[in-house]
Amino acid sequence: MRALSWMVLGLGGLCLLLGILALAGIAPVLYGGWLLTAGIAGLFAGWYLSLSAGMLESAGGGEQARLRLRRLSRLKYDLGAWFIMAPCAILFLFFIYDPLIESVRLSFFETKGMTTVRFVGFQNYRRMLIHPDFWPSVRNSFMYTFWSLAIGFMVPIVMSVIVNEMIIGKNLARTAIYLPVIVPGLATVVLWRFIFSAEASGGMNMLLAALGLPRTTYLSNPSIVIPIIVLTMTWRNAGSTTLIYLAGLQSIDPQHYEAAIIDGAGVWRRLIHITIPNIYNLARTLLILQIIAVFQIIYEPLVMTNGGPNNASVSMMQVVYRYAFERFDYSHATAMSVIIAVILLALTLVYNRIGKPSEAY
Amino acid sequence: MSTPNTMPGTRKRGAGRVSGKTDGLIRQYDLRKPPVAAAYTLMMIVAALAVALSVAPLIWTILGGFKTMQEFSRGVKTVGADGKNKWVMAFLPVSFSLDGYIETWRQTKFMRNYLNSLYAVLGCCASALLFNGLMAYGLSRLKPRGWRVADALVTGSLLLPGMINIVPLFINLTRLGLTRSFIPLWLGVGASAFTIILFKNFYDAMPSSLFEAARLDGCSNLQMFFRIVMPLSMPINMVVLIFTVNGAWSDFLLPYLLLNNSPSATVMVRLFEFRVATAGVTAIEVLRATVFSILPPIALFIIFQRQITSNVMASGMKG
Repeated sequence: MRALSWMVLGLGGLCLLLGILALAGIAPVLYGGWLLTAGIAGLFAGWYLSLSAGMLESAGGGEQARLRLRRLSRLKYDLGAWFIMAPCAILFLFFIYDPLIESVRLSFFETKGMTTVRFVGFQNYRRMLIHPDFWPSVRNSFMYTFWSLAIGFMVPIVMSVIVNEMIIGKNLARTAIYLPVIVPGLATVVLWRFIFSAEASGGMNMLLAALGLPRTTYLSNPSIVIPIIVLTMTWRNAGSTTLIYLAGLQSIDPQHYEAAIIDGAGVWRRLIHITIPNIYNLARTLLILQIIAVFQIIYEPLVMTNGGPNNASVSMMQVVYRYAFERFDYSHATAMSVIIAVILLALTLVYNRIGKPSEAY
Repeated sequence: MSTPNTMPGTRKRGAGRVSGKTDGLIRQYDLRKPPVAAAYTLMMIVAALAVALSVAPLIWTILGGFKTMQEFSRGVKTVGADGKNKWVMAFLPVSFSLDGYIETWRQTKFMRNYLNSLYAVLGCCASALLFNGLMAYGLSRLKPRGWRVADALVTGSLLLPGMINIVPLFINLTRLGLTRSFIPLWLGVGASAFTIILFKNFYDAMPSSLFEAARLDGCSNLQMFFRIVMPLSMPINMVVLIFTVNGAWSDFLLPYLLLNNSPSATVMVRLFEFRVATAGVTAIEVLRATVFSILPPIALFIIFQRQITSNVMASGMKG
């Protein structure tokens, strides 16, 4: 028992060491993250086994032994519980945290296919900055964010206030507005590409023709391509946000309104002084979530315009996609992802600094 | 984010029917004032427009699928007032025969993609219930020493930009030889913080006496999960299943990277392959394939409409 526990403990430690070395890029080990995980698990298992061994040897009796037994049963409970949580925790490590670390690591290496060649410091980043796709994509990502806030931020707020005031057809309105959310994202993108097609068969052009207007181009016009893509995103996403605001509106205490009515406040004043302040914090949270989501836009430009015309709609995530899955240049792709992550982190920090949540209303 | 203190919709409806509008921002007597009444009418018109706008693109697509290729791209040939032939685009198709849809279904062999998607969806459901359920159970009930670490792992993932991971994840999966396999899609669902939080909130509200009784009867932790927690959390299981089915059906980037150009392409992967002309499909076929890909989620939504909308509201998070 003792020997076994030492063996497991040693193996775990070795795995851990190799994992750390592999992640640091020193040892030529195939896959560091798994070793790291296995190492931690091995250490735990070894610790557990050695303690059980200790218990078997010292189960003689007396106060000391009883205390030890109690501690041991607590340990057994903890390990059992962790055993239940471990599968999911490993999945989190594998699907989220390990790729995150790998992403940062790869961005500092020269890669050839999927193997790292050598450490190059910030060279990938420097080369990123002078790439012709880079600055258009940065500008566009900010433009997407700007337009999505300009077009899309108020829509769910207005819609939720309206739907909340409906007496008849409320359920129908709620269902219809949520319907686009349930449609698969890629399908909506393909669908909107048909609607904004420059051909006579495009939905918008059919509408123009029905009104007696000449047909026009949409997605190949560099000055309106981003607002149009943002319109389709708003169509798709407004429904879920509307429902969240609706929940916020329904949780407002009706007594607030009654008190305001007794004080003689009109509808407009009630809206400004009760409704809006009550959903202010929710709006704040949803604003930053929207910024984070839109900044990572990829499907829409990828499918609707492929970044065109002339990079007028290419987004930063799409540049990652181009590098990684069209040119198989993983080091530049990860450098780009890291830049996106840093920009988002900076945006979130700045945002939390400038607009503190309002406490009083 | 807050949970509403009443069940969405219940209070409202009861009050509304009895004596006009006695709740919310605008009350019945406000409507006697002409400006308020005008504003209220305007609001209802906006609501009607929003409903129409939400549904119109979907209806346009479904109607378009009924047309023939020529009808779709050029219109219908009609004789104009001056006696010349004219091509006219109509919103409604000439006939509502399903032949076009059936032909596309056969020609693109879409059945296979449907089956692949079904396969992916079923595995994802199992994974979501098992992995996320167990994790939430641990976080909510077992709370071993150090559970806050796991909690931080879960909630921390909500803060990370979701797309950043895709490149190294793809590399890792390729190294492990898991491309052209559904396993990563299934397991990937297990790392969903959203589902875990849904489960955890539900488990937190279960009475502890249940667990104490079961423990006295000699139930182990795992038995407790499968014999007590799971059967008692059918409502939340249902919600998680609905969201997982929809998410797995709609998931695209990782499935595309793993399954493109393989016989196990899911519906979304196939649809993405159709976007380029080299896929050898006509515009009308792409349009019909789009309809195929949106019908199952819409059917699901129509059946479970009330559960979906009220749960998006109650959880206060994006689904």
